[in-house]
Amino acid sequence: MSHGIPSTPFESLRLELRRGCLVIAVMAALRSEQYGYTLRRLLADRGMAIDEGTLYPLLRRLETQGLLVSEWREEDKRQKRFYRLSPVGKLVLKQLRAEWQSLNTSLGDIL
Amino acid sequence: MDLLERYLQAVKFWLPTPQKQDIAAELSEDIRAQIEDKEAALGRPVTEAEVVAILRQIGRPVLVANRYLPQRYLIGPLWFPIYVFVLKIVAACYLVPWVLVRVGLALFDPASRAGHASAGWLGALGSAWSGFGLAAVLALGSVTVVFAALEAQGKSGFLEHWDPAKLPAVRDPRRIPRSGSTIELAVNIVFVSWWLTAMRSPIVLDRPDVQIAFAPVWSTFFLGFLMLSVTNVAAAAVNLLRPYWTRPRAAVRLATNFIGSGLFIGLCRSSIVASLTVSGVARAQTFLIAATINRVMSQAWPIVMVVGIVVFAVDIHRFVRATAAGRPLAGGVPHGGLPNSAAR
Repeated sequence: MSHGIPSTPFESLRLELRRGCLVIAVMAALRSEQYGYTLRRLLADRGMAIDEGTLYPLLRRLETQGLLVSEWREEDKRQKRFYRLSPVGKLVLKQLRAEWQSLNTSLGDIL
Repeated sequence: MDLLERYLQAVKFWLPTPQKQDIAAELSEDIRAQIEDKEAALGRPVTEAEVVAILRQIGRPVLVANRYLPQRYLIGPLWFPIYVFVLKIVAACYLVPWVLVRVGLALFDPASRAGHASAGWLGALGSAWSGFGLAAVLALGSVTVVFAALEAQGKSGFLEHWDPAKLPAVRDPRRIPRSGSTIELAVNIVFVSWWLTAMRSPIVLDRPDVQIAFAPVWSTFFLGFLMLSVTNVAAAAVNLLRPYWTRPRAAVRLATNFIGSGLFIGLCRSSIVASLTVSGVARAQTFLIAATINRVMSQAWPIVMVVGIVVFAVDIHRFVRATAAGRPLAGGVPHGGLPNSAAR
């Protein structure tokens, strides 16, 4: 994912659209425990590529809000930070999912 | 991996101390994983150039670090439009007149050039320019400090509590406020009365203890200002009855203000005080006082000219706007298309 300034109105609007969806995607992916890099790969494989400069600050923000919990653990002889949804995060994800589905239905009707 | 360590060090430089190690460790792990993936794909260790490409793709260290920091503004998006508006007012009402007065003095006032005898008006302009820097920094800096304080204070209530019913009416740039015309009419009538009774003679003050006599050229200024004031009375009366700028009325206002500025400048430069007599004061002393009054007036004319230029610019703008008939105003009211009943 490019760090540059969006070059066209479409690119700029596309980024704006994706930014809101990323939070739900990240939270949904963290229903099972992941560390940063595998989370990025998982999202990229599902068509939601996210660069490290966006993902890690987002993870920290969600953790500060109490939606995620994290712990440092050794894996493959390297220290990695693993994230997963907190109980509050699970509840919020459920609400966000309902909101997303309602929004998707409304937008589908409009489009 | 020297390059990676150098990169992480550069990122850490911009991070707050409590988070430095934690963020760097996580970022380091991610980059190492990317490198390993690349090596697995290539089937060989990565070269330094390939590590450079990965780091370049991640971004400049200060930008990467910035994404971990909370967004902070000196003046945030809520206050920013008001801040810019106030800056424009300060520039238009303080800095522009400041520049015009200084340039006027540098070009036309011998006294202000005296300190720059060798460089002349160029030196005076240079001095004005350096003074401008300080004036601009002080004016704009003060406004910025006030708005930064408002931003730091957080919610002031000003932006949250407002009443749509108190918004100003839709502004018609061609509308002449009746209150302004009424005041203008009253002031000009009083001025004409006073001018005719008190200023007709060149001996403008003739009391037993004080006599002030103007130079013979006074009769020209007397007539000039009288005619201007009478014209202003007529224009204000018409504006009161039909409160919309039209091309002829805007032209009359432009002409009267232009001639008025010219007359005022002429008056300043005419050494108008011919004699001054005060009982009990020596003749030499009163002569000195009269000369001082004439000199101060003479030195003031560049300022009068600057004011005249500003007024002239406003009048030109009004004249151009008045000629733009037919174009719709905000709210869909056509220029020049207002019925008389609406105008009244």
